[in-house]
Amino acid sequence: MKRSIASAALLIAACTFAATTFAAAPPPPSPELAARIASAADRVAGIDHQANRLADYDELRNLQQVYGYYFDKALWDQVIDLFTDDAQLEVGAQGRFIGKASIRKYLLGLTGGKQGLAEGQLNNHFQLSPVITLSNDGQSARARWRLMLEDGQLGVQGNWGAGIYENEYVKQDGVWKIHRLHLSVKFYAPYEAGWTRATPQLNARYGKSTAKPDQPNKSPMPGWPVAFEAKMHYGNPARDNYRLAPQDAARAGENAAQTVADLEAQVRALELKLQRLRATEDVERLENTYGYYADKSQQDAISALFAENSTLEILGRGVFIGRERVYEYMRRLGVPTDDTLFNHMQLQPVVTISPDGNSAQIRARLLVMFGRKNEGAQWGDGVYENTFVKENGVWKYQSLAGYQTFYTTYEEGWGKRSLPMMSYFPGYPPDLPQSVKYGPYPEVFVPPFHYRNPVSGK
Amino acid sequence: MTARISRLLQRRRPMRLAALPVLALAAALPAMAADPIISDSRLFTDDRRVALLEMKIASLQREVNLIEDMKAIERLQQSFGHYISEGMAGEAAALFSDQPQASIEFAQQGVYLGRARIEAFLDALGVKAGSGLLRETPTMQGVVHVAADGQTAKGRWRSLVMAGRAGQDGRWIEGPYENEYVKEGGVWRIAKLHWYTTVDASYDQGWHKAPNPAEGPLPQLPPDRPPSIEYKAFPTFFLPPYHYFNPITGLPVAWDRPASGVAK
Repeated sequence: MKRSIASAALLIAACTFAATTFAAAPPPPSPELAARIASAADRVAGIDHQANRLADYDELRNLQQVYGYYFDKALWDQVIDLFTDDAQLEVGAQGRFIGKASIRKYLLGLTGGKQGLAEGQLNNHFQLSPVITLSNDGQSARARWRLMLEDGQLGVQGNWGAGIYENEYVKQDGVWKIHRLHLSVKFYAPYEAGWTRATPQLNARYGKSTAKPDQPNKSPMPGWPVAFEAKMHYGNPARDNYRLAPQDAARAGENAAQTVADLEAQVRALELKLQRLRATEDVERLENTYGYYADKSQQDAISALFAENSTLEILGRGVFIGRERVYEYMRRLGVPTDDTLFNHMQLQPVVTISPDGNSAQIRARLLVMFGRKNEGAQWGDGVYENTFVKENGVWKYQSLAGYQTFYTTYEEGWGKRSLPMMSYFPGYPPDLPQSVKYGPYPEVFVPPFHYRNPVSGK
Repeated sequence: MTARISRLLQRRRPMRLAALPVLALAAALPAMAADPIISDSRLFTDDRRVALLEMKIASLQREVNLIEDMKAIERLQQSFGHYISEGMAGEAAALFSDQPQASIEFAQQGVYLGRARIEAFLDALGVKAGSGLLRETPTMQGVVHVAADGQTAKGRWRSLVMAGRAGQDGRWIEGPYENEYVKEGGVWRIAKLHWYTTVDASYDQGWHKAPNPAEGPLPQLPPDRPPSIEYKAFPTFFLPPYHYFNPITGLPVAWDRPASGVAK
């Protein structure tokens, strides 16, 4: 008896399912409802347009920062793939290189015709301070960035440099590429002398390649302290009426949604798109928050940012597993005191959000200013590859991996010295040994990228 | 390595296994929630469905505008850094609010009020193309929070400044900003810019040997108000206050100095 009721129920359910699935299309909505659907659909199209422009901004920001990380390691094939075929490159006083083939020659000519850095070379190019302007049609963009650079050769010379990029980008088949790269070198000075002793002759050393340019520089680039122009592509934001993603009312009739079901599907897709845009902001903010806490050794505040089953691996100190161990790790670094400087600057975040918007990855750069009054000071430089997870709507660290590029004493700099890998805390072993075997500069090590080349997919 | 980590986790916390079925159920739930089975069309009419969508669309509109606001504030703050670096005091001052209480405060130099005085202060830094003075100001590490109504915002940032006069010793100056922004006529402006000094030091000798005190008031251009907070730069420990709570715990984060000085 029970069984036949159950079968009957199943049958009814099956029929209902079949009826709803295969029945003829539902009756068209009333004219009044159809008008509401049309008006809602226009608003969805408008928001979608805004969201796409915001996504363009994030892609452009990542593109230039990805360029920087490849450039650091002289991964020229990867760098070249980021350019359009008709791209132009003009770097410092080295003239203009026109077309991809010419740009390739220039880049290879920086490293003796070879891909990659040789042992003992350093080529860190920080991509900072973006101002990105998207064209009205969303097919091209311009951006100003600031460059800060540390380069040189161990045992020979270290340099500090700074510059200004004014670049142009175009979208080809839905993918952003670099169309014009223009770097004005502000100064390029030996580490021992510092920027105040920069001269046009010293500045002109930057970016020297064995390749010959196709054209001379458009305008002279002597660099500081000589006055030179690094023209801005954009007007003052207080006056120029530029909006990245204006709410555009004039999109009526663009959206084909006709039924409630159409509209529901569109709203769901839009919701996910916005969640992913929001995630980019949230994850970068979390990374930056971590950096401010690290500056001041705020171990409680830092460990609270980690998921319960997260992992932490910094330099050669091994892997620490679980939030409690993250806390213990941070406690090893001690409390902040007078006479100690522990700056952990977080730069150049390349953020990747998963398709479902619930996990994320970041590549970021670490610049450390360490010091004890009268005792010593150090520069430290590294790369993070971190992962994040959204738990109950809140982003947390799932893993943090900080790779050591170099630490050096303030007096010597990276031209003269690279300190050994930071190892285990004495008497306080990690849960697992260092997961990737590598040595700091002068060894050439490329911390694994969480992303593929945004243009070639390689 | 992942397998080893999960083994270790299980060893450390055997209770976690019991939670697995619950987790599996929880993982299945969103998929069900995404496709609700609407069984009674008398209760859930097309009218009602459209009304719900209209509310949802209004909230998505607010959300997309708030994300755009974050980017606009980045543009504003980064422009400030570009203008200072290029010695364009007037353009930098134009980024500030029209209101007379708009303010700028660097280090221990005091507070300047209103756009005219802000421009005078930035001008007094003396950084102009060809002046022989440098103040390269890359800006990074933004933590920006926009108010729900999209009319005001706060942001923490930092600059690592390379300063100095040609041919003389250079200066490293580093510290965070705690800034406030306001939307005026649909355009974001800086309402308050406060740049703290963590360290200010001689390039030639380094911060461990020759830290300078946080810079004091300009004798030729006294400020409108004294510094809003008195503190010292490195080698003294100081934590410029955060405008935000810890994003996970929701608790304020501070480091209170014991009365006798910082713990050793």
